[in-house]
Amino acid sequence: MWLLVLPALAINVAIILIPALLTFLAAFSAWDGIGTPSWAGLANFLALIDDPIFWSSLTNNLIWTAIFLTVPVLIALVMAALMLAFPAARTPLQVIYFMPRIFAAAITGRVFQGMIYSPATGILGWLNAHGFALADPLADPDRSLFAVAGVDIWHWWGFLAVVFLAAMRQVSVDQIEAARVDGAGFTALLRHVLLPGIRPTLTLMLILTVIWSFTVFDFIYIITRGGPAYGSEVLSTLAYRHAFFENDVGQAAAAAIVMSLFGLCATFAYLRIQSREEGA
Amino acid sequence: MRLSRRQLVAAVPAAALAGARPARAQDGRTVITYWYGAANAAGQAALQHDLVEAFNASQSQWRLVMEVKGGAINNLLRVALLAGNGPDIVQTNGPSYLTPIATAGQVLALDDLAQKYGWKDAFLPALLNTDVFGGKLYALPRDYESMHLFYNKAMFAENGWKLPTNRAEMEAVAEAALAKGIVPFGNGNADWKGVNEWLLTVFINNVAGPDTVRRALTGELPWTAAPFVEAIDLSKSWYQKGYFGKNYFSLAGEQAFMQAVNGKAAMVMSGSWAFGYIGAGMNKPDTVMDVVPVPTLGSAFTGGLYQLGCGATMSIARNSPNVEGVVAMFNFIQTEGFYQAMNRDWPGKWTIPVKNLSPAMLKGIGYPLFEKAIADMHDAFESGKYGFTTWTFWPGATETYLIDGIEQVWLNRATTADYLTKMNSMFQQEMKEGKVPPIPPRTA
Repeated sequence: MWLLVLPALAINVAIILIPALLTFLAAFSAWDGIGTPSWAGLANFLALIDDPIFWSSLTNNLIWTAIFLTVPVLIALVMAALMLAFPAARTPLQVIYFMPRIFAAAITGRVFQGMIYSPATGILGWLNAHGFALADPLADPDRSLFAVAGVDIWHWWGFLAVVFLAAMRQVSVDQIEAARVDGAGFTALLRHVLLPGIRPTLTLMLILTVIWSFTVFDFIYIITRGGPAYGSEVLSTLAYRHAFFENDVGQAAAAAIVMSLFGLCATFAYLRIQSREEGA
Repeated sequence: MRLSRRQLVAAVPAAALAGARPARAQDGRTVITYWYGAANAAGQAALQHDLVEAFNASQSQWRLVMEVKGGAINNLLRVALLAGNGPDIVQTNGPSYLTPIATAGQVLALDDLAQKYGWKDAFLPALLNTDVFGGKLYALPRDYESMHLFYNKAMFAENGWKLPTNRAEMEAVAEAALAKGIVPFGNGNADWKGVNEWLLTVFINNVAGPDTVRRALTGELPWTAAPFVEAIDLSKSWYQKGYFGKNYFSLAGEQAFMQAVNGKAAMVMSGSWAFGYIGAGMNKPDTVMDVVPVPTLGSAFTGGLYQLGCGATMSIARNSPNVEGVVAMFNFIQTEGFYQAMNRDWPGKWTIPVKNLSPAMLKGIGYPLFEKAIADMHDAFESGKYGFTTWTFWPGATETYLIDGIEQVWLNRATTADYLTKMNSMFQQEMKEGKVPPIPPRTA
């Protein structure tokens, strides 16, 4: 039995546990990433607490989480229910909705930056030239996070819709038909039949969304690099900046640990819900 | 040397990976490896043709193999060096990037080789000395750079604008341009936040004066001193007046530069690499553009000022088994033929700071605007009349804050005093840790 588990365990220890432990140790050290590390105690965490950029980054992560727990989830639920209701359109719509997910983040990011938001080469520029005074949201520290979130939502909601549709197709047809016979409309069907029917999938996706929201990096780094004026900085871009631009691996590791704590909380919540459901 | 336990732990995988055995190419030559950072299509073609193929054709013992690694080269390099698995030729983005690598002993001291091959006499001391740490030379400078004021000379002539020689004249032209709906300075940082520090290099040096900057870089004066407050306030005032256009954060560097070429902007404050924007037509005889050093913006000096900058350093990896091959490459890049070909095909990145810059070397480039700038920079750097670029002399963390933090000042999210106080405290800490590169002397 143990022999069967061994290969997977060895891989996990080598590529997850050991790097995680080293990161944990790095958070308590002063290290420029190339010289010899020295013990720093809690200095890296205290420096983070004193840094207003850390707090604004954490706030941005929370805003990002709130956005992704609602906007793409709602769009995906409605679209999945509609696809369920219209089987003829289901296959082509699934392909179309899923397509943004297969594009590399770098390509999607650059397309939105250059062909949509850019005042020189994008749709926004064209609208400006035709009498609509619209500023580039990526250039505004108060709106840049939301502008990047818009790109990621475009890339993400279709995937959620396909996952939710797959779950909805497991809901008993008899139950759906009975609701319809009883006069349930689209909203009532979604609320009282489909949502309870896909609750385990929905819970899993929401918990994963929390975890992913605290590790979000790619779109933000590609499109705004956390700017302007740290307006779209999140914990992962903060950690990256500390590690690779400021050569302060200790601070980067401390930020990464804070990031991981939120993921850990979400994981524990999921495990707890799962064990409760299994016990029921 | 006694190894600590931590060094020993790091050394075990490094030794396993290194092997320290020279690799052989199919033709029996010994391979020397070289990682390059970011290069556009023209740059990659020039590197391949003028450097790799030309070097390999110039001798029969070594085969130079270059990999273009992109913008994250510094991150990759540090990790690879730590693992003992980096390239033979270690190229960094300049002295401030080299400092931690050299002090960690990841590259070889070059003093004996420099003596043997006459490098100390071949390179401009102002540049070569930026690669000396603890009395030892660890790299050769690959180029020299400065900020310049590019301007649309046709637009200036058409509007009767006089080329500015001080702050008042610069602001007069900027206001006149704004009144005509022209962007005063065609700068943009959408693709590279470092544009912020290009501008700050100008403001800090040309407002406070290079001697004041040098005093701050050597720790004699804090960055919170009045001349620096004036410099940052001026940058904020120009940004908020719209001198850099309303799309500063939306336009990429080359896009913004093209505004000046296309008559939508009057001037651009950019670095020597901007000569590489060949698409802007600056290498053509009938170009609309001209270039001068950026004029004084304060009362510390009169006239224009070049700021001493080094865009890349080249060293030999500590574990390299091919030292002689790297030396051959280092000697090759100092030849007249390479200098002309590389600067003709990809201007601005490979102005090797050779001490004896003969007119023949420049003439072979065939790009008058660039040749004029190289000759002027060479004179300034040779005679000690220069300022200091932030990307060469500011240590890593301070430089990063300089770049990112200034956006908070420009966008009213931090005060000048807060910004300079934080920058000063980061600088003093890094200075204490020995992370400030050597600051060359200058003459008044």
